[in-house]
Amino acid sequence: MALKLKTPRWWIYHILVGGFALIMLYPVIWLVMSSFKPSDTIFITAKSLIPDTFIWTNFIEGWKGIGGNTFGHFIKNTAILVVITLIGQVISSAVIAFGFARLEFKGKAFWFGIMMVTLMLPHDVVMVPQYIIFSKLGWLNSIKPLAIPAYFGHPFFIFMLVQFIRTIPRELDEAAIIDGCGTFKIFSKIIMPLIKPSLATVAIFSFYWTWESLLGPVLYLNSPTKYTVSMALNMFLSNETVSNWGAMFAMSVVSLIPVFIIFFLFQRHVVEGISTSGLKG
Amino acid sequence: MSTRVIKENVNADVTIRPISKKSRILKENLTGYAFISPFIIGFLAFTLIPIIASLYLSFTNYNLFAAPKWVGFDNYVKMFTADPRYWQSLKVTLIYVLGGVPLRLAFALLIALILNTASRAVGVYRTLFYLPSLIGGSVAVAIMWRNVFGDVGIVNILLDFFGLTAVRWFGNPTAALWMLIFLSVWQFGSSMLIFLAGLKGIPKSYYEAASVDGANGIQQFFKITLPMLSPVILFNTVMQTIAAFMTFVPAFIISKGTGGPLDGTLLYSLYLFLQGFEFFNMGYASAMAWIMLIIVGLLTVIIFTTSKYWVHYESEGGK
Amino acid sequence: MKKLLVLLFSFVLVFTLAACNSSSSTSSEETKPKEDKKDEPVTLRIAWWGSQPRHDYTLKIIEMYQEKYPNVKIEAEYAAWDDYWKKLAPQAAANELPDIIQMDLSYFSQYAQNDQIADLSKYVGKEINTKDISDNVMDGGKVGDKLYGINTGVNVVGFHYDPALLKKAGVDSIDENWTWDDYKEIATKAKDAGLFIDTGMKADVFFNYYLRTLGKSLYSKDGTTLGYKDDKMFEEFFNMTAGLVKDKAVPTPDYLAQLKGLEDSPLVTNSGIGVYQWSNQFVGLQQVANRELAIAPMPGPDSDKGLYLKPAMFWSVGNNSENKEEAAKFIDFMINDIEANKLNLGDRGVPGSSVVKDALKPLLSPAQVQVFDYVDWAEGNSSAFDGPDPVGAGQVIETLDSLSEQMAYGNLSVKDAAKQFRQQAESILSQNKK
Repeated sequence: MALKLKTPRWWIYHILVGGFALIMLYPVIWLVMSSFKPSDTIFITAKSLIPDTFIWTNFIEGWKGIGGNTFGHFIKNTAILVVITLIGQVISSAVIAFGFARLEFKGKAFWFGIMMVTLMLPHDVVMVPQYIIFSKLGWLNSIKPLAIPAYFGHPFFIFMLVQFIRTIPRELDEAAIIDGCGTFKIFSKIIMPLIKPSLATVAIFSFYWTWESLLGPVLYLNSPTKYTVSMALNMFLSNETVSNWGAMFAMSVVSLIPVFIIFFLFQRHVVEGISTSGLKG
Repeated sequence: MSTRVIKENVNADVTIRPISKKSRILKENLTGYAFISPFIIGFLAFTLIPIIASLYLSFTNYNLFAAPKWVGFDNYVKMFTADPRYWQSLKVTLIYVLGGVPLRLAFALLIALILNTASRAVGVYRTLFYLPSLIGGSVAVAIMWRNVFGDVGIVNILLDFFGLTAVRWFGNPTAALWMLIFLSVWQFGSSMLIFLAGLKGIPKSYYEAASVDGANGIQQFFKITLPMLSPVILFNTVMQTIAAFMTFVPAFIISKGTGGPLDGTLLYSLYLFLQGFEFFNMGYASAMAWIMLIIVGLLTVIIFTTSKYWVHYESEGGK
Repeated sequence: MKKLLVLLFSFVLVFTLAACNSSSSTSSEETKPKEDKKDEPVTLRIAWWGSQPRHDYTLKIIEMYQEKYPNVKIEAEYAAWDDYWKKLAPQAAANELPDIIQMDLSYFSQYAQNDQIADLSKYVGKEINTKDISDNVMDGGKVGDKLYGINTGVNVVGFHYDPALLKKAGVDSIDENWTWDDYKEIATKAKDAGLFIDTGMKADVFFNYYLRTLGKSLYSKDGTTLGYKDDKMFEEFFNMTAGLVKDKAVPTPDYLAQLKGLEDSPLVTNSGIGVYQWSNQFVGLQQVANRELAIAPMPGPDSDKGLYLKPAMFWSVGNNSENKEEAAKFIDFMINDIEANKLNLGDRGVPGSSVVKDALKPLLSPAQVQVFDYVDWAEGNSSAFDGPDPVGAGQVIETLDSLSEQMAYGNLSVKDAAKQFRQQAESILSQNKK
């Protein structure tokens, strides 16, 4: 394989794709480089990409965090929320999607329609009534309003998995039925392994969306000790006086690292999945 | 051709004969509802009441703090007859959706096709191309974007290099809107990832069979890749359209929450937010939300209706 | 199915009404006389917005207070400005407001007129000591005859400039009694020297100032209409500002839109002489510019009629609070305690209490001294504050900003803008008519 790759075609591919990636990444590189510049020169020296001298003070300053909570503390809060949410969203969405994609029952179209409607109504207008519900439940100032709904499926993921399950030939289920498998077995033994790439996609999205989500934590978390990364990042800025840009950039970079690693690890499953095991045929 | 390959391996014609039709239907219904029950429970518990409340509030004058006052269709009438900013926000949003979604999808599909190989180097590329999407809507993006599109930013330097005049991206309403569209195209990663997952779901055997039949790359793309990918394309089209209509964060952070310059980036969701939480006209915002629901719903129905003609479901034996 | 919908709908109605009415029910509970047990443990929630230094020192003040009153536990809830207001609105709707709330003038009326925050008059003179604070300052927190907030300090608008750049433009100094004509003259000189005079004027703040110098105001006293009748005033003011943009003495709006922040603003990068802004913004500007700056009052004539002491922020008490007296006591601590204010150092505006102000003076940085001195001067050279903006002001300001933007771009004539502003603003404000 490696030998075959070093053809002129290989070179052209890598120069084109790599070059294009570099252009796409220019703003990201700028972000990373800026986190090594002194806070007050970030904008003045914006034209020059590489800092004159690399300084680490932004990272040290930023890591100290806010109000006695280190940035590591916010990362821990976010990680806990992300893991709880991710497990819930992946499992529940897969189960629900299987129901919509493979089973026949009365009212299926109705419920599917309802699900799409929940996606289309702007969140701002349901936010306040929802807040009141969670306050009556006594869930305020905890991650419950953020994490518990994750166990009831996420419309985006449900719809996505439905579409993927529908690309799988039904003959496979039917063969399994002949072998004596029940509906749940078909779900867990046939469909689940086959949609592994899309489950990996769901996991990536779920991880990242929870990681960066701002509105939910802003609404429901009151104590700064419970804040998430995205809220902490906003706190480096000031609308009245001087913002701590350097610390904000540095911690933005730091908070990118976990998502970056997770993506790199999971993306392999997105593209491997069934292509290695191979569909019968 | 494609289904034939599989049918040879499985005796697809054999189906189980049910004992009693009635009990089988009941069982089917019960199983179906059992599987989707988490959604139904969650919907009834957390979403239904807020949705109905927002519909009710759209017929009231509600400032969040005092009891709502019933005003009938006033909010809707005002929206269409007496609020030029509403029309502006609708116009801006339509341009954003119609300009941004096709560009973003085409771009995502192209990159997905290029990166659809299993080598380790390509894995790195996939991660790199996804990076812009990971930065998301944080404040850092706003600053980064201000730098890239600033007066002495890289974009204007490049424009200058090619002999074109520099553009005040943040100061010109049209340019600012296009900048938002570029931002959305730049963050094409999620669509790309879904396309990649879809591409991997296409059995290799189909391509092998096609090469045996002598089909070239382009023919394979149109005969196999596109039809097999069509359910995923449908998903991406629908979801990206909905998401584009809902876009809020980029417009908010780039215009510093105003929708400026000259309301050029006043996306629908941003205007809705301003009405609801800055001007405390929650009734009006709710009415706006329901009109948005109707618009997006209609568009989705249209996309779904046309999907009969272009989406191919393997599980439904072709069309 | 239909029955189910009707049922659900009525449920929602009951539900929303219940949610909205419970504020009155809690306040009636509040009126029950509470047994005055001094050492009963109390937990207070306090919320504020701000940046890192403010979080740090406020937490220290809380610690200090808790040491003094061990029965009181104070839970701090602080956030960035945008996030803060996103939090507060649903909290108000759900009757979950914190006990002590840092309030901004722009949202003040909205919360006050809907009884989300409590009338503090009955605590004045008891829990809250105001004897060292002038009435002028205290009145800033009044809506009607009720006191909904205690001023944390005051800000005064002015012209913050670099004296060295001013000299470069050929002007030696700015006179305390300078006028609009002087201003225009200096602007022309600045332009000739290749400098911007300023970065424009935030339409609502400075137009209001201008109206006040003419004896009018932006809003009428009852808040149901505009406070000026003659659109000539609008035309005069905006002809001047739009004219300066046209003459290139003030940067165009598309230039300003390209700026990223304080750090690359014209004054900091040595291409602009000054900025029109509030006194609390001076220290930050000086810090970023990192050279000596000066403060001049606003141009006249009659600048003393136009200037006023603007409440920087308020401390308010949530109406759903069950510990209003304790909340009031802590507010008193924050505004009157000298040790607490030594931590604060005027970050929430120049303190209203004259005793506190005098105690702080020796501790201030040179830039802070400039701010305190300017506010001291303004106290004797200003007129009463018009009171918090009426409900709907946010939308009026947005309209005015948008129109002034269009005028600066040259898309709209000043005459048309005056008409449009009157029509739109009056339609918004007329909703306040009872």
